[in-house]
Amino acid sequence: MKTKMDFPNVNERKPEGLKDDGKSFRVLIVDDSMFVTKQINQILTSEGFEVVGTAEDGLSGVEKYKELFPNVDIVTMDITMPNMDGVTALEKIMEFDKEAKVIMISALGKQDLVKKSLLLGAKNYIVKPLDRKKVLERVVMTLKKQ
Amino acid sequence: MRVEYINPFVESAFNILKELVGDNITRGEIFLKASSQPVLGVTAIVGLTGDVEGRVLFDMSTKTAISIASIMNGEELKELDELAKATITELANMITAQAVTKLSELGFKFDLTPPTIITGNKMEITDFEVEALIVPMELEHGKLEINVALRERN
Repeated sequence: MKTKMDFPNVNERKPEGLKDDGKSFRVLIVDDSMFVTKQINQILTSEGFEVVGTAEDGLSGVEKYKELFPNVDIVTMDITMPNMDGVTALEKIMEFDKEAKVIMISALGKQDLVKKSLLLGAKNYIVKPLDRKKVLERVVMTLKKQ
Repeated sequence: MRVEYINPFVESAFNILKELVGDNITRGEIFLKASSQPVLGVTAIVGLTGDVEGRVLFDMSTKTAISIASIMNGEELKELDELAKATITELANMITAQAVTKLSELGFKFDLTPPTIITGNKMEITDFEVEALIVPMELEHGKLEINVALRERN
């Protein structure tokens, strides 16, 4: 008599936003554009990431990071924002936590600021317009960097 | 105003709209307006200052703005709410950033102001001392006019 056997589905892949223990990577989004925040949020949550916080300017981004620490795995940081720009906010976050993983979100034409950010400790950058593939690729790559 | 200033904006708008909205886009004939001109209802303005100074307008009807914002958000927006305005602002940001990169490659150096969105009916815009060049872009979802008034700083 035939018995039904459960084989693992080889086509089933683990969502990129899950750690090995099955818990989600935790993301803080710092961006003054409601549209960009929503876009990043949608892309990441659809892959199992958890957005643990959002902030609309650099100053509140730094405060939010300190408040969430150590329960945040990665930050997406817009460069041009009111109150405190993304490069300064990155600097403040790196002073507080030198292991912080921050990805800069940049419009085209901000190469100098992107370079400065990388020197200050940003782990990666994404140039807008954003798309799903680009965002996931860079976020996953950054999380794998030691 | 030199026509080469407007081309990077038209090329960038074409590329970005194609990527984000995916429409069949047709570029209309460029035309010049010297004085006051009506605007269509939703206008994103970006100021430029440096070797070249002036402003760029991305002008469209409210209906077109809502349609474009809906596609960019992947959901139907019913009105020109904060999200729709933020979306059009970001669209203007991306188009301008790409255009400015092209102009920088031509040797022009300048800074941009953050985009401002103006909405309303029966509005007019008037530029003094600089004429505006306008390129209408026809999308499946309506018309978007790129209106550039720039001059070289003396």
